[in-house]
Amino acid sequence: MAGKGFTRNFRPLKILTEEEIEAIHRGTLEVLWVTGVRMEHERGLKLLERNGCKVDYDEMRVRIPPALVEECLRKTPSSFHAPARDSKNSLMVGGNTLCLAVAPGNHTVDLDTWEPRPATRKENYDGVTVLDALPTVHFFSPYTPYFGFKDVPPCMAMLESLAARIRNSTKFQCVGFSNDSEIFAIKMAQAVGIEILGTCAFAPPLAVYRDAVESAFRFAEAGLPLRIISGQVMGGTAPATIAGGIVTNNAEVIAGLVLAQLINPGTRILVKDFSASVNMRSGAPAFGGIEICLHNAASNQIFQKYGVPIDDTTAYPNSKMPDYQSSYEKAFRIFTAGLSGANTLLFHGSVHGELTHHPIQAILDDDSAGMVGHFMEGLAVNDETLAIDLIKEVGPIPGHFLDKGHTRKWWKSEQFIPKVADRLTYPEWMNKGKKVCLDYARERMEEILATHKPAPLTPSQEEDVEGVLEEARKHYKEKGLITEEEMATYRKSMKSTNYPYEQ
Amino acid sequence: MSTEVLENLKKAIIGYDREGAADWAKKAVQEKIDPIKALDTMTVAIRQIGDGFGKGELWLPDLVGAAAAMTSATPIIEEEIKRVGATRKSLGTVIIGTVYGDIHTIGKTMVATLLTASGFTVNDLGINVTAQSFVQGINEYKADILAMSALMTTTAPEQRKVIEALKKEGIRDTVQIMVGGGAITQEFADSIGADGYDPTAPGAVELARRLVGK
Repeated sequence: MAGKGFTRNFRPLKILTEEEIEAIHRGTLEVLWVTGVRMEHERGLKLLERNGCKVDYDEMRVRIPPALVEECLRKTPSSFHAPARDSKNSLMVGGNTLCLAVAPGNHTVDLDTWEPRPATRKENYDGVTVLDALPTVHFFSPYTPYFGFKDVPPCMAMLESLAARIRNSTKFQCVGFSNDSEIFAIKMAQAVGIEILGTCAFAPPLAVYRDAVESAFRFAEAGLPLRIISGQVMGGTAPATIAGGIVTNNAEVIAGLVLAQLINPGTRILVKDFSASVNMRSGAPAFGGIEICLHNAASNQIFQKYGVPIDDTTAYPNSKMPDYQSSYEKAFRIFTAGLSGANTLLFHGSVHGELTHHPIQAILDDDSAGMVGHFMEGLAVNDETLAIDLIKEVGPIPGHFLDKGHTRKWWKSEQFIPKVADRLTYPEWMNKGKKVCLDYARERMEEILATHKPAPLTPSQEEDVEGVLEEARKHYKEKGLITEEEMATYRKSMKSTNYPYEQ
Repeated sequence: MSTEVLENLKKAIIGYDREGAADWAKKAVQEKIDPIKALDTMTVAIRQIGDGFGKGELWLPDLVGAAAAMTSATPIIEEEIKRVGATRKSLGTVIIGTVYGDIHTIGKTMVATLLTASGFTVNDLGINVTAQSFVQGINEYKADILAMSALMTTTAPEQRKVIEALKKEGIRDTVQIMVGGGAITQEFADSIGADGYDPTAPGAVELARRLVGK
């Protein structure tokens, strides 16, 4: 089970009729051809123009003809191999599988006050170790667990994150992009002999900037898989209606898909439906809203029809700590993803939106992920599981099933046993200090950190990873993206004898 | 007639009607209605919206919609104020904008709207505003307060650049500087030498009042 994702053994939830899917598809084609998208990248525009798109260079606007859209959708693999550093963690993304990944956060939280604060280098590396140990974390998303950590200049956050994940995990890795960081990310991956999933992110509505297009070129040209995202907020950067939001999201991610297929036909693509509504009180995204589930269920159905793997909206809760609200917000998200055919979902560890993450939350999420995975497998119905002969043999009370071989054989595969849920009786619970799942999660974290030793890189791989980091540091210093002062603090933080794991 | 025009101007703002607001503002100018009175009417309208938002009866689309209607009428009335050489009582003049490289508008517009509703004269420079444009805005409008927004950690440092540009121009001490936005913290505001920070739009209004001593 670990590393392979969950398999759904029943038909996915279908919330749209065929006519509704067709209407959304037609709307998408119309927007792509009539309005088009703004692409601030001349090479990208030229490539699209050579392939039949209408390009207005003054407005940097490209209009994509329906025939090209449909051709590129056909060229996109319906599932793809995502090889990990340890092949037992490699994935096949697509079809009826759901692979779960880490939901990142900008900062960590203090476990007493639940207030956010920047993570330290050690907390970042420990966070990766915990996630490496959790069986339901199938791969890592970009800048996980944290967007950066103490004393690392912002332009190095993406690469320091990847280095930590390559060092402390053998699972499949995904990266983002920032100031050409993908050049060094690809180099780092090649040095270690692994493949990584890149990202091209649109800026809704209907725009994509230079850095994102560069990232698409670099990953597609290197023959690496690419994740295409557009993080819309309905009512702000997309229509307030879910159907309208799906049309603009489709137009954005499909424009990216067309670009990638023109750069390198057959490029492995994972599109992401990353949507939320505007919180009409604060203007922030309304993380955890049930409308996100509707959006995703519909998008999952559409992309199954397209035959393109799809990544669901990250399971970001709006609560500030693991509590009742956080649990239902996350549970609705993952359950909808599992039922409606999402292929991936960023799930573990997010405490509040994309602002905070904590390994304890990831440990709690490991249980609910396991529960959904168990549900997705469905139930076996055959002579043995129907147990008609046994039912006849046991008969009415005083007969029972506890002492039967059938029970001993089957119960463990039929039940899911959570690792940190409180399942004690009242007397036991009172005698053991009234502990709750959060207490057990903390104990499990300590146990993992004491016992789980991620498979290390070879000395030469380690040298290569550090070499690429050093090259990037020099590059950004020369470009003026790291100041003298930042560099001095950064260098000082690397002086520990236990570098890179501690400062 | 004058009352009817002003009543319609107010209705247009409360009714989120951009074209209507501009039309009634033009009409007010044509009919030689005191432009200060027109601007006061508009402030009353936006205050009504701001109060509704504060009470939780109205929502962000209402606030932003009314602000857009007000913005379409304001330049027309302001031009008339300039033409007749009138002056208006105000808590202070604010230059507001989202810094260069950042195109997030909602938080900045909320603050601008609530400041206007509270009686400040607000000049909204919009989004993606360069340090140079802030400097020009401060000089042109003789601002008492500079308010800057940045939502992203990557654009927050731009606020420091603006403050440095002000120092270079020798106008840093002519304005009170308040900063906000998702990427900003009190610690950051202190580190760049801002005079104030608040994480919420209503809090920003209180802060602005404190900064101008009102």
